Amino acid sequence: MIRLVRIELLKLRTVRLPAGLLVTAAGLTALFACGNAYQAGRHGGSVGSLATAAGLRSVTTGTTWAMVLAAVLGVIIATGEFRHATATLTYLATPARGRVLAAKAIAAACAGALFGLVAAVIATGAGLGFAAARGDHGAHGARFALGAGTLAAHAGGAVLGAALLAALGAGLGSLVRSQLAGVVGVFVWALIVESVIGGIFTSARPYLPYTAATTLAGVQLGVGPGGVRVTVRTHPAVAAAAAPGPLPFAAAAALLAGTVIVVAIVARLTTVRRDVA
Amino acid sequence: MTTDAMNAVAPPAAVPVEARGLTKRFGPLTAVDRLSFTAPRGAITGFLGPNGAGKTTSLRMLLGLIRPSEGAAFINGRRYGDLPDPLRAVGAVLEASAAHPGRSARNHLRIHAMAGDVPGSEIERVLQVTGLDGAADRRVGEFSLGMRQRLGLATALLCDPDILILDEPANGLDPEGVRWLRQLLRGLAAEGRTVLMSSHILAEVAQTVDRVVIVDHGRLVAEAALPELTAGHDRGLEDAFLRLTGHAPEGPR
Repeated sequence: MIRLVRIELLKLRTVRLPAGLLVTAAGLTALFACGNAYQAGRHGGSVGSLATAAGLRSVTTGTTWAMVLAAVLGVIIATGEFRHATATLTYLATPARGRVLAAKAIAAACAGALFGLVAAVIATGAGLGFAAARGDHGAHGARFALGAGTLAAHAGGAVLGAALLAALGAGLGSLVRSQLAGVVGVFVWALIVESVIGGIFTSARPYLPYTAATTLAGVQLGVGPGGVRVTVRTHPAVAAAAAPGPLPFAAAAALLAGTVIVVAIVARLTTVRRDVA
Repeated sequence: MTTDAMNAVAPPAAVPVEARGLTKRFGPLTAVDRLSFTAPRGAITGFLGPNGAGKTTSLRMLLGLIRPSEGAAFINGRRYGDLPDPLRAVGAVLEASAAHPGRSARNHLRIHAMAGDVPGSEIERVLQVTGLDGAADRRVGEFSLGMRQRLGLATALLCDPDILILDEPANGLDPEGVRWLRQLLRGLAAEGRTVLMSSHILAEVAQTVDRVVIVDHGRLVAEAALPELTAGHDRGLEDAFLRLTGHAPEGPR
């Protein structure tokens, strides 16, 4: 299995797209982190002062683009084989297709972890850099409004969340086989569907996979990619109902990992068995 | 004998490639119909048939890529998926374009060298054998169809397999390439390897193969040594092929 994962990682290193996606994720993260940090605490802005925990957190947890693009990479890892007809060669080398799917999911998780790490370093660096430059210290003489432990936990959550979303992308890609449908599906789901479902059925929101991944990274509920707060008009009676808080870290991680496994099993039992013509 | 009964009998280990009652239905269409044939060691077997006769589907069933509706295919007496080291047993070229266009030829081969657990020196060997050594670091997207065929052959030869299964390997090759391919395959067969190649270029097949398997509408219509089949026909293989596949009126022999 280790050799199969190494083969998948070699495939990723020998084409340009994965590196291009990583650079895009880094660029988007830097753009939104710096933009949010710049306007933090300004009158009329949506981001609180970097001297507050909430304000600083909204910048340092701006890792959501990397999570979306990690899922996109996962889809591409699985669907690229059908787009370029290399699935034939892959299955000739490894007729046990379940092992190929597992290797792809693991390789996707490794690459996704890198996406999460790069984004966490950039977002944390932007938040702390702006806070230091402005002299936005935390309360009680603390250097920053968030402690090192919290920052590290959010960064670790971003790494884990991006890794699991990338693995989920690989599972979904195996299920749909079509690269275009898979990539469009990831964007539509993360940017629109979860906001709409979460806005209408607020009690379900913490259990949605993309939201669960962002919960791992310390993103507040209802914040979409780039720190944009997404709101959906809802019936007052619905809005009045007590909205639940985010899932605990372990529950969110378990939920996402379970989703990856279920999707992979469904893919294995359906499309992965199909003829490769 | 039922299909199950046939499957229960262990096939003789001596046959490198064997199709036994292979059948594939796509909905109402029967693409391959109870097809049985073998490809023996040390010979090139041409797998011929009109377009849509089920050649590609049959080759993919031999390689475990398409699941037969009935019947079974055996490589060295086992189903492809049960081979302990499939890349060392069989090298296959099924479509010339089966490579990522953004990857260099060398990196494409590196991936398959890792998959087949062969040393990197083998990459240089197959690059030389296929004449791609000068183009190894170019991206496959820049390759002509002929070069992609050569890359497919290089990939198939990488793990030094005893059996080669090739779907239209001469497609896209120029006359020099066709001659090179013929000499390569003849050499491989002379070493005792098994070559099964599909083609519809009959003039080329007639110069290359030792025996032919002809299919039409998914069914076997002939399996014979080439001289046996062409004897008594003015234009040899072409006459025999057209007569067997029902595309020419029966004339006086």
